Amino acid sequence: MAKILESPAMKLFEKWGVPVPSHLVISSAEQLSTLSQVNKWLTESTLVVKAHEAIGGRFKLGLVKLNLDLNGAIQAAKEMLGKRVQEISISQALVAEMLDHDEEYYLCVRSIREGAEILLSKHGGVEIEDHWETVKRLVVPIDSTPSHAQLIELAHQAGFESDLAERVAKITNRVFLCYDNEDAISIEINPLVIAKKAMRFAALDAVVELDMTAKFRHPDWSFTPVSEFGRPLTPDELAIMEIDARIKGSLKFVQATDGDIALLPAGGGASVFYADAVIALGRRIANYAEYSGDPPDWAVEALTEKVCSLPNIKHLIIGGAIANFTDVKATFNGIINGLRKAKAQGKLQGVKIWVRRGGPNEEQGLDAMRQLRHEGFDIHVFDRYTPLTSIVDKAIQSEKN
Amino acid sequence: MSIIATEQTKAVIVGARAGQNAAKRMAEFCYMMGLPLNVLAFVYPPDAGKTVEVLYGNQFLSIPVYASLANALAAHPTINTALVYVGADKVFSITKEALETDGISFVSIIAEGVPEKDAKRLIRLSKEKNKLVNGPSAIGVMSAGECRLGVIGGEYRNLKLCKLHRPGSFGVLTKSGGLTNELMWLCSQFADGITTAISIGGDTYPCTDFVTYLDLFEADLQTKAVVLVGEMGGTLEEEAAAWYGKTKRRIKLIASVSGLCQEVLPKGMKFGHAGAKEGKGGIGSARHKLQAFRDAGALVPETFGALGNAIHGVYQTLLADGTIAKKTETAPPRDLPLQIEESLKRGQVVVEPLIRTTISDDRGEEPLYLGYAATELIEKGYSIEHLIGLLFNKELPTKEQAEVIKRIIILSADHGPAVSGALATILAACAGIALPQAVAAGLIMIGPRFGGAVSDAGKYFKLGATSYRNDVPSFLAYMKSNVGPVPGIGHRVKSLRNPDKRVKSLVSFVKSRPSLQTPCLDFALEVEKVTTLKKENLILNLDGAIGAILVDLGFPEHALNGFFVIARAIGFIGHWIDQKEQNSRLIRLYDYLVNYAVRPKRDVPTLN
Repeated sequence: MAKILESPAMKLFEKWGVPVPSHLVISSAEQLSTLSQVNKWLTESTLVVKAHEAIGGRFKLGLVKLNLDLNGAIQAAKEMLGKRVQEISISQALVAEMLDHDEEYYLCVRSIREGAEILLSKHGGVEIEDHWETVKRLVVPIDSTPSHAQLIELAHQAGFESDLAERVAKITNRVFLCYDNEDAISIEINPLVIAKKAMRFAALDAVVELDMTAKFRHPDWSFTPVSEFGRPLTPDELAIMEIDARIKGSLKFVQATDGDIALLPAGGGASVFYADAVIALGRRIANYAEYSGDPPDWAVEALTEKVCSLPNIKHLIIGGAIANFTDVKATFNGIINGLRKAKAQGKLQGVKIWVRRGGPNEEQGLDAMRQLRHEGFDIHVFDRYTPLTSIVDKAIQSEKN
Repeated sequence: MSIIATEQTKAVIVGARAGQNAAKRMAEFCYMMGLPLNVLAFVYPPDAGKTVEVLYGNQFLSIPVYASLANALAAHPTINTALVYVGADKVFSITKEALETDGISFVSIIAEGVPEKDAKRLIRLSKEKNKLVNGPSAIGVMSAGECRLGVIGGEYRNLKLCKLHRPGSFGVLTKSGGLTNELMWLCSQFADGITTAISIGGDTYPCTDFVTYLDLFEADLQTKAVVLVGEMGGTLEEEAAAWYGKTKRRIKLIASVSGLCQEVLPKGMKFGHAGAKEGKGGIGSARHKLQAFRDAGALVPETFGALGNAIHGVYQTLLADGTIAKKTETAPPRDLPLQIEESLKRGQVVVEPLIRTTISDDRGEEPLYLGYAATELIEKGYSIEHLIGLLFNKELPTKEQAEVIKRIIILSADHGPAVSGALATILAACAGIALPQAVAAGLIMIGPRFGGAVSDAGKYFKLGATSYRNDVPSFLAYMKSNVGPVPGIGHRVKSLRNPDKRVKSLVSFVKSRPSLQTPCLDFALEVEKVTTLKKENLILNLDGAIGAILVDLGFPEHALNGFFVIARAIGFIGHWIDQKEQNSRLIRLYDYLVNYAVRPKRDVPTLN
């Protein structure tokens, strides 16, 4: 799953005949006056300027400027570009035609277990959550497309009449086709606007999420990962994503703030329980991490180095369930190498390390970890007879002794 | 009894390496239970027509590979299960193919990263066909004492620890492979073990939901309780809770859900499983799911850590009310034959070693030469001469001995391109032969006429020094009648008046070091005194001096050629590189360098 930025989203819309306003992306305000020489709409229309970055609630943050002429747009872009908001440095701005419209609608197609649901409301805009009862729903089973009659019926339910219902149904159909053919997980257009005199529609703002696992059948997808938690990805997170993309098995790494308990657990299922165990004791995690699917030792080593580099950590939790096919000895070798490197670089000072694991070659792997005690690591190693998350309890308990 | 995976389950594995590993693990289980292997075929088009060797006990079974499921089923009509280990892009089509066969009623998709849309299409297809698809991203199914599908359970030792050779009373349902294994372990430690354990996979839309399996567990009378571990995201846990609360169920349900941490973590943070993501308005949150389970009457421990005790509590209750009887523990019907290493460790077998070594041990972190670690030798300042002494003669040479060895090697390293060894290397290099073979061609030349005199010189000077100590004439008489010319004596051009500078330098160095004993060298010099009286050029040559000195250093006679091999290999390698870098062309002798002492051309007689 990945959110994509507005510009690539609008490209997908254009591909499937979903109307979008005229728009372009700039990285410096000066480009606008040059661009206006070849793009007539820049001088003839009212413009909107938006920070082209993955930041939620841009309107409230003043990162969307409305009702501008070209000079106003240049001024707005100047103010926006280079500004730092929520740790993101704004490097691109989207300039779009601010369609003079009469009404704002809400249109969403999103994935559900049975197929997809289409949500439509005549009362779109920023207050949609408050008008949720006006949103009408049509379920489209997998492997089918909504019929014209169904879409007209949906439009009627939502309060659209005659010609307008016909047009809304047509656009809804196109958005559905875009969703279905582009392996989208959700397409939320809010608002979908209409200029009634010209009967012209446009998706003024939209959030598009795609299923990145389907990339193999979309050679035209060239989106860079967009951070989904309101801040840009850190260099360490990007480095682990890059390794993750080219190895057997998988690695995950997300940095958190203010936590002093670092996590280096194995397995997508168990790792969340480790985070839960920390939180349940009223503490904060310094990160979320996970390795699984028997990744190569060098990859686990790289992940270990990143986790050991987290600031102000007191405990390092190297936990895991009893693996089915991840080789404990081999992956622990990677961790041990990473720990040694970190220590040589002066990291891990005063950090207590807690280990619990089982699986193929568990005895050799745990033994190798125990040996680290002789190298000056403050390490505590437990086997399968200690419950999964007990090492977290023990870590916190050790502070009181 | 059990669900899904039973003694009747016969599997085809689709995919290459990962599938073969799974077959190996499945064979371990089958062997332990005394059951025939339940993998009947592989499907992997590039290897169609070949077989995959699967170790079953102590024998390899040849399992055929087919180009398609249809072919596999035609040859093995009892196949009813498919395990899918192909890449994510091929999962949909092969699973569809499996669902469309008559024979296959259960497909487990182990592959990860399958698009949501493909999974949803498979959900529809499997419902249409009234079949089950497990996964994607699912580790497999384990029915204790009956059937293993996939690598679930991991290594053999774990199967025994988790008592998977006999059925228990607890079903296991999770979204995670690692946690499934963990729960099988918990159920064996805190209760009487499992009936069947299934992971449905951690994707957003697993093809089969918890409820489907809960229904099957409810119908399986052997299963008395089910441990279900879910995670935030989706609504499958809520549906499972609703199922449990809907009516009085025979099975007890113990549930745990991960993801409470999400409440305090950055919004939108991604976890390892694709399906583990935030839902809107509380639905799909761990808290919501846990509450749903509590409301439905399931036993919900506070944390995952408390799960073991919860399982134990339920087990005690079931024992107390007579629902289950305490089991007498039995061993597995068969134990997997031990690997030879393991067997040796336990002292169960004796093996006559094939070779014996006294000098080098590579079994640890680094080589030990006669017990000395290579890196420690380096750290303590030892060099290559010491190593030669150590490996040739099992003793570390002293500083002065090492210095002698070094000088011998420097003096013998090369003797120009024209001598037989170097020429052989150069000829080979010009013919485009690679370094090791070309250098070997040069080394092959070392023998009685080229470089080999060192050994013989050492041997006979030692004989002389021991048996003819003050009697050079008798030694020379012995040599004349039994050997011939004294090896190491005589030079083509050098003589007393025109001495060999190399010999002089080496001999004077050795003689100037009081710590070095030189009985053989002394004897050789006595011999030289006598022979040069007869003829000026019958001097002690380099081979003779080296041979005598090395024997004096304590090296056995048969080791002496080794010094020449080491030293001259340096030169040969140099010659090879030199020719290579000049891009030398193939060479052959000119006709005028050959004396063609041959017959003139004549008619070949008719063959009769």
